[in-house]
Amino acid sequence: MSKPKAKAAQTHQTGIYKSDSVRDVAESLGIANLSETVASSLASDVEYRIHQVIEEASRFMRHARRTTITTSDIDQALRVLNIEPLYGHNPHNPPVFRRALPFPNAANVGPVYFVEDEEIDFDRVLREEKITLPKGVSWTAHWLAVEGVQPLIPENPPAIPKDVDQEITKSPPQANGAFPLTPPSESRSTVKKQQQQQQQLVKQVLSRELQLYYTRLTASLLPPTADSTKRTAALASLRNDAGLQALLPYLIRWVGEGVVTALKEGAQTEADGRSLEVLLDVVSAILENNTLFIEPYLHQLLPAILSTLLHSTLPPSHTTHLRTSAAQTLSRLLTQHSTTYPSLSPRIMKTLLVALISADKSKGTREGAIRGLVGIGKEAVRKGLVEGGGVKVVGSECTPGETGPLVDSVMTALNVLHPASDMPESLDATDDGDTVTIAQLQDVLGNFFAEKLHGDKGWALGILGSIKQQS
Amino acid sequence: MSAATPAASSSGGVSPVNASAPDVTQNVSSIDRLVLEYLRSRGHKDAERALNESLESGSVDESAKTVSAEDLIKTLAVYAQKPSRPGDNVLKESANVLQELTAMGNPPSIQTLIASLGTVGAEDILSVDPTDKEEGFRELEAWVEGSLDMYKPEFRPILFPIFCHFHLDLVQRGFKEAALRFYATYSPSLAPMHHATLHHLSTLLLPSHVQNDDDAQRFKNEKYVIRMSRSGFSLLVGWLTEGVGGEATGAGDGFSGEKGKRGRAAIMRVVNNHLRFDVTSASATAVSPNAWEESTGLLSQLIPQTSTSVTPNPHTFNASKGELKLGPAPISEELRAETERVIREQSVLDRDPNAQYDLQFLRPPAVLGVISPTESDMLPYPQSFKTVDVQREVEKVRDARKRIRLEPSALSSIDMNSVQGGAARARGLPSICAYTLHDVGEGAPCCTFSPDLTLMAAGFSESYIRLWSLKNEKLKGLRNDFSLSSVKDSGSLSKIQQKEGNTTRKLVGHSGPVYSLSFDPLGGSAVPPRYLLSASADATTRLWSLDTMTNVIAFRGHQNPVWDVQWSPMGIYFATASRDRTARLWSTDRTSCLRIYAGHLSDVDCVRFHPNSLYLATGSSDWTARLWDVQRGACVRVFIGHQGSLSTLAISPDGRYLASAGEDLAINLWDLGSGRRIKKMTGHTASVYSLSFSAESSMLVSGGADWTVRCWDVRGAGGSGKSRESGVTESTITRTNDDENNETSDLLATFPTKRTPITNVHFTPRNLCLVAGNFLAPDSR
Repeated sequence: MSKPKAKAAQTHQTGIYKSDSVRDVAESLGIANLSETVASSLASDVEYRIHQVIEEASRFMRHARRTTITTSDIDQALRVLNIEPLYGHNPHNPPVFRRALPFPNAANVGPVYFVEDEEIDFDRVLREEKITLPKGVSWTAHWLAVEGVQPLIPENPPAIPKDVDQEITKSPPQANGAFPLTPPSESRSTVKKQQQQQQQLVKQVLSRELQLYYTRLTASLLPPTADSTKRTAALASLRNDAGLQALLPYLIRWVGEGVVTALKEGAQTEADGRSLEVLLDVVSAILENNTLFIEPYLHQLLPAILSTLLHSTLPPSHTTHLRTSAAQTLSRLLTQHSTTYPSLSPRIMKTLLVALISADKSKGTREGAIRGLVGIGKEAVRKGLVEGGGVKVVGSECTPGETGPLVDSVMTALNVLHPASDMPESLDATDDGDTVTIAQLQDVLGNFFAEKLHGDKGWALGILGSIKQQS
Repeated sequence: MSAATPAASSSGGVSPVNASAPDVTQNVSSIDRLVLEYLRSRGHKDAERALNESLESGSVDESAKTVSAEDLIKTLAVYAQKPSRPGDNVLKESANVLQELTAMGNPPSIQTLIASLGTVGAEDILSVDPTDKEEGFRELEAWVEGSLDMYKPEFRPILFPIFCHFHLDLVQRGFKEAALRFYATYSPSLAPMHHATLHHLSTLLLPSHVQNDDDAQRFKNEKYVIRMSRSGFSLLVGWLTEGVGGEATGAGDGFSGEKGKRGRAAIMRVVNNHLRFDVTSASATAVSPNAWEESTGLLSQLIPQTSTSVTPNPHTFNASKGELKLGPAPISEELRAETERVIREQSVLDRDPNAQYDLQFLRPPAVLGVISPTESDMLPYPQSFKTVDVQREVEKVRDARKRIRLEPSALSSIDMNSVQGGAARARGLPSICAYTLHDVGEGAPCCTFSPDLTLMAAGFSESYIRLWSLKNEKLKGLRNDFSLSSVKDSGSLSKIQQKEGNTTRKLVGHSGPVYSLSFDPLGGSAVPPRYLLSASADATTRLWSLDTMTNVIAFRGHQNPVWDVQWSPMGIYFATASRDRTARLWSTDRTSCLRIYAGHLSDVDCVRFHPNSLYLATGSSDWTARLWDVQRGACVRVFIGHQGSLSTLAISPDGRYLASAGEDLAINLWDLGSGRRIKKMTGHTASVYSLSFSAESSMLVSGGADWTVRCWDVRGAGGSGKSRESGVTESTITRTNDDENNETSDLLATFPTKRTPITNVHFTPRNLCLVAGNFLAPDSR
């Protein structure tokens, strides 16, 4: 063996344990002139012994059903190899090895690792840290599979690890030089296979651009701050932009949640009122957008509209506007979709009627219901107010001579039924024909609103006429 | 691997040799005397003794005499440190190889070829230039890769033993750098298949390591068996002698150069001294890609020596052991009659006329082609039966009736995603209930369910065992303060039971990690178990009484950690597996063991009883599984094929199949009767910890460190489904990386868990599958 060649080879070829390390140890023991051959063969031997211990320890690791070697495995291995174990290490908190900064004056040393030896301040520990007793081992049971199908419950892993998740798992936080976690090499192929099996159940994943759009959009709409240009732009985008279909469920959900939060706390503040206005604008914008296929989501959209319409107490300054625009939105929705969704208007009618007629509803709700009926159309007004007896109920709740939004809304509704005449001519109680009309009016509309119509003979007759004509 | 240091091994038995040496030297030739003097002056006492002995017996090989004295000294110096087996294989020669080949009945033409090789090999044993090995191996690799596709699967196994021998030779002669360079150059191509061995060899760096390492010595002293077809073998011989036949184009100057010649000679030396070719008449194409696993390797010690078998072939060994009695155990007539009576009575009580027909389950249908044991074959058991026996048998019948039938075969032909697929899944796949342990500190190596599913026990690395009642009943032991004289009947026993209890209980007694637990099977699924066995790293096996909740006996006898323990299917007896390379049979009424099953070359990692308790299967770190006759203590079957330590075993309830899982991440299915491998199932991406057959033996469920539970079709054909369809050739299959799909087609379903390695898989008699594992919190390591 030629010496220089061997040396050159050694620097990059020999194993992990370098002969330099042996020489360092020898020097620390006071042996100054250790020959190269002795050092290198000692290093080789040390390495072999280390491997021997590790191989033995790995058996203990395997039988302990773990995938990382702990200090206790090494201890066990030393014990069976008849070597005294290294006391003082426990596997509960494994030492964290940190890499030292490279030494500027010794470039060829290579990476040096050391164990962080923290100084513990007893005063601080005693004062601050509460020592909690560990809970102890416990068990839970769950169905991993039922007749060969894995149920989608929180105990089981999600069917498809989303791309985002994978990215997270790919780059575990290893900042402090920790060991890698113990992941069994989860092969992609198995994931793919499951994907195929359970594809039907899984929602589409939003693209990053759409996600960004969504956050920008919602941020510019709510809270309704002064920047109205942004809001207008956002609404215009909703009204006209194509390609928002994927966002639709999220938007509708957002609207629904917004309405709920606005109405939950009594909805008395200005801000609530304004946000409700904005949300209604959003709904109408969505409805106006021709590129969106909204029908599957109508059942989610309606509660938001109807809640606004029928809620008992809306912020005072916005009440009329809110209820009117909600009614308008509703009417728009119905005109657009009642053809393809025939059961839609009867169901809405039913909801509105219940709100209008049933006892113990506030005036606000009644008003909303009437506005809704107006929005639906003449036929709905006739059915709800007259045949359903809505006018009578409202009239009986009104004190004589009362005015207010509720009465106004009823008058609007009656106006829909038949327009008031331009030149009102009052009914004459002495006239026979008029007496009959008054009696009929009282019969149909109740005393309160019959009186309201006293001033306009043509209107009263028109209303009666339109009712008769239908029945 | 022993802890002995190299210095210690050469110290023993020196002085007597010194005393007798002068007498011997007088009647030997001058050359030999020279050698002896040299050895003595250098202090190589063992070698000196070895030479003396060989001189006395006159068995020095002829070729060795022809070489010069100087060279002989050189050669012997290399072996001088060898502590044992003097002269065994050191100069073993072509003559021996020739003999062996004759015994195998090869055509004489091959023998003459071998003979002609022999002389060359003997000369070149003295060449110590490390470069010829590198050159030779490069040539060989080029030749194998350049050979016809049909021969490649045959030739590829040759590379590994030759690589190992070259590496060991280099290390032994002190060429550390050359060895490392050789290893770095050529090991990557062999790594996928032989990772474990290669890594081990790479740790050997000094000649003394080679002398003292078990694996290295096995390579030196045993023949590495390679199976080859006749035509393949003659091609190899042709290439070795003449350097012709399928040499890769552009592979250098080949064997025409001087270097090439010496390289070839080096290969021939290994072939002659350390390889044994098992030449079959089968054509090359008939060999399946995984077949080499079963018939290649250092087999001679793995297979117990019998007088008849000359070549160590697991199949001939297994065949020589005759038929096994794999049928179900007989039930005594009295017990059967009593069980029938109880079933009839109960059917009347329950007003369930159908229960009458249950009696058919009492007589298990005879499995075709399997011999059933008679009562005289069985282990000694108590003559009379007890109430618990009847209860167990009755419950067995009831289980058989209420069993969910699993038909995995229905799944094979149907697309999983279709509508019928859903129904077939429900029919073919089991329901699996997962029991997850939380807040486990250092780890729970084992977790097991009692046969009646009332109890769950887990053994912990912190040396204790914890019991849980799965029915939320309180676990009560006995009080300490009672006088024995007051206990007269069961009533007074229940009086001294503890008043309070918890649904969980800690059993403390071991002083090392608890690696295995087993509930006593006597009550079957009818009655809660009364005893628990535990095996631990403290080399003891302990018996715990579940009536008193205390340790009753500690069974001592193993010298090393006990890896596994299992009750025999009918109680009383149990078996343990230990690091001391033995498995042992014990009975609960004796503190010493009844039988020792020795023969494995490394740790015995797991034991399983055959359902009729006549046989015991063991899995070992020597990569084999064995089947032992429990009573005779003899090995009756060897299962060779895993390429790593075995981690767990399972025997099918019908007694015909053995499933074994190894660190090579494969699950092998063996036919116990013939000892042959039925198929190899791959798909797990980390160690398999537990296997369990369904009650009909039609499905195998496995759980492992990759946090999954997988269901396998036992009857399915298997084989790599996808990779073959896509037209990938053999070479890429054998060299697949881990991220490639290597699932065999008989993998029916995979159920991932959330960070829970599955340590136990358990099928109930009614085919509900229970799995247990401890959850790894993401921040814990």
